Amino acid sequence: MRVRLIYSPDVVEKPILAEVIIKTGLLINILEAKVDAQKGELIVSIPTIGEKLEEALALFRRAGVQVQEITKVLQIDHERCIACGACISPCPTHALSFNDDWTIKFDEERCVACGTCVNACPVKAIKLL
Amino acid sequence: MEETEAPRRPYVSIMPDENRRYDFRSKIESAEVMSMKKSKKKIRSVKEINEKIKRGDVVVLTAEEMIKLAESSGIEVAAKEVDVVTTGTFGAMCSSGVFLNFGHSDPPIKMTKCWLNDVPVYKGLAAVDGYLGATALSETRGFEYGGGHVIEDLVSGKEIELRAESYGTDCYPRRYIETVVTIDDLNQAILVNPRNCSQRYDAATNSTDRVLYTYMGTLLPNYGNVTFCGAGQLNPLCKDPNYETIGIGTRIFLGGGMGYIIGEGTQHDPKSGYGTLMVRGDLKKMNSRYLRGASIYRYGVTLYVGIGIPIPIINEEVASTAALRDDQIYVNIHDYGFPYRPDLRPVVKRVSYAELRSGRVTIGDKEVPSSPLSSYKMAREIAEVLKEWILEGRFYLTEPVEPLPKEEEFKPMPMRRRELKVRDVMRREVITANPSDGVKEVARKLIAKGIDHLPVIDRKGRLIGIVTSWDLAKAIANDKRILSEIMTRNVITAREDESIHVAAQRMAQHNISGLPVVDDEKKIRGIITTDDISRNLVGRRLMP
Repeated sequence: MRVRLIYSPDVVEKPILAEVIIKTGLLINILEAKVDAQKGELIVSIPTIGEKLEEALALFRRAGVQVQEITKVLQIDHERCIACGACISPCPTHALSFNDDWTIKFDEERCVACGTCVNACPVKAIKLL
Repeated sequence: MEETEAPRRPYVSIMPDENRRYDFRSKIESAEVMSMKKSKKKIRSVKEINEKIKRGDVVVLTAEEMIKLAESSGIEVAAKEVDVVTTGTFGAMCSSGVFLNFGHSDPPIKMTKCWLNDVPVYKGLAAVDGYLGATALSETRGFEYGGGHVIEDLVSGKEIELRAESYGTDCYPRRYIETVVTIDDLNQAILVNPRNCSQRYDAATNSTDRVLYTYMGTLLPNYGNVTFCGAGQLNPLCKDPNYETIGIGTRIFLGGGMGYIIGEGTQHDPKSGYGTLMVRGDLKKMNSRYLRGASIYRYGVTLYVGIGIPIPIINEEVASTAALRDDQIYVNIHDYGFPYRPDLRPVVKRVSYAELRSGRVTIGDKEVPSSPLSSYKMAREIAEVLKEWILEGRFYLTEPVEPLPKEEEFKPMPMRRRELKVRDVMRREVITANPSDGVKEVARKLIAKGIDHLPVIDRKGRLIGIVTSWDLAKAIANDKRILSEIMTRNVITAREDESIHVAAQRMAQHNISGLPVVDDEKKIRGIITTDDISRNLVGRRLMP
């Protein structure tokens, strides 16, 4: 499960992620981080489901972190798309590839919503949601 | 230290030298050479093919189908059975544009400047004639919109804002006009593309440690990816590399309509296997599915053009080239980390389209993701559409009026003025500091000497950091005392023999105003700042 963690100025200096990792023993992976003195936003991957996941999410919420579950992150407008492939190799997580018919295949699970493909697309067919 | 400035490039196989013209592409591939040994004995003429089209019994295969047939039955059989092989390509073709005639307004205007949707149109022609180039940028929307997009919008039938200026004459009194036009209002809209349909195109990678945004797309650091162009085994000129059937006057699929080859393209380089075409077609009869405006991130705008060329199978040689596969067509991968003339960018590897299209290219001991910038899906579709047109009797083949030149080559620009290098404008007396120096003492030094950049060196005089007046102000505000606590360790540098254009662009990229100049051992040779460069600017020209 990929989750966006939004830290308010009140909690941005606390080591909340470390605490959750220690308490749950989950190997939470940071996919993207934007942190400054005012606020912080992390995109993390939590490698579990069900009760254990709920426990981790509850710990973040209790610590004052806003939690958003990331379900759909990217939209390809296949009407606009010319299937050139300019988005594929720049993708750092290999979420984009070709189908057998040379149309573009998007693997939602791998995407970390970094936006590299949005810029790489010459016909503006990709949108971050 | 950034690798941009202190490169370790383990995979360079050829490091070009600027004093010599490089021809490492000159080797024509062995498969293409082999095909030349096939029989040139005439099997059928274009005239006979056209009679078959008329009768409805012409045999047409796409280049992909031709490959399969040649593999299963052999070239001789394929040559005997197949009349025409259709090809296709759909890629960014910057040297494209359209001649437009707007008709006269009343009172009339001799347009000296003209814009369509804020994109400038070339007006060095008669009163209401203009040429809109694909890479012209909108004066209001920058990289988001340009000539390529206007062409797409025209073909889609959209309304386009026309604005023009003039100085006024007795016969053309009007000085300004603003109106709205569609493609139907124009007398002519003729696509004339000076360079399209490259025979092949070299691939790109990036050895530096930062992302590069190039006309070859986004290139990730440390050989993070490879990008390439061209449809390879579907690519028109790859299927007739000896220009046996393709020439001036050849009728083609162009942008969804019919067009013609009107000659070799600019930069035509047949000796090296990098031929190009100049093409022409009526924009009014084209389809925006096959002409798409595009924005290349942080580079500019362009036009994706769809082209398909029929190859009449006149003999076994042509049959065998029409059956060439991706694994028999090669290009070089260049390192775009070097901001040099294209042919001087080091070659990292020679690679086949099959390897490029597999999605993984091996560079040294690394598996590097590769992806194209041109659409194989659309190239395939174009070859299919052209095949349908021929089978339905809507498209007849033409005999070239003249063959394409086979001997030309593509020369670089001679540099006949002395060019400024970093060493010509850098300051050699560099004031430096040590990492253990106190912040206040260093601040005093900066004020006393009136400088903004202070390189920090170790005991052996090697560059290990830099502080600016801004860093020092911040350090004093935050009560930091020692230079090593606040200095920037990842120093962007320049080298003495670099062009000042390259140094200026590096500063702009990193949004900084000075670069220490270092040698191979990271010893400081000087310092160059934006001030030093602008002092050498007169008007907009760089004067020695």
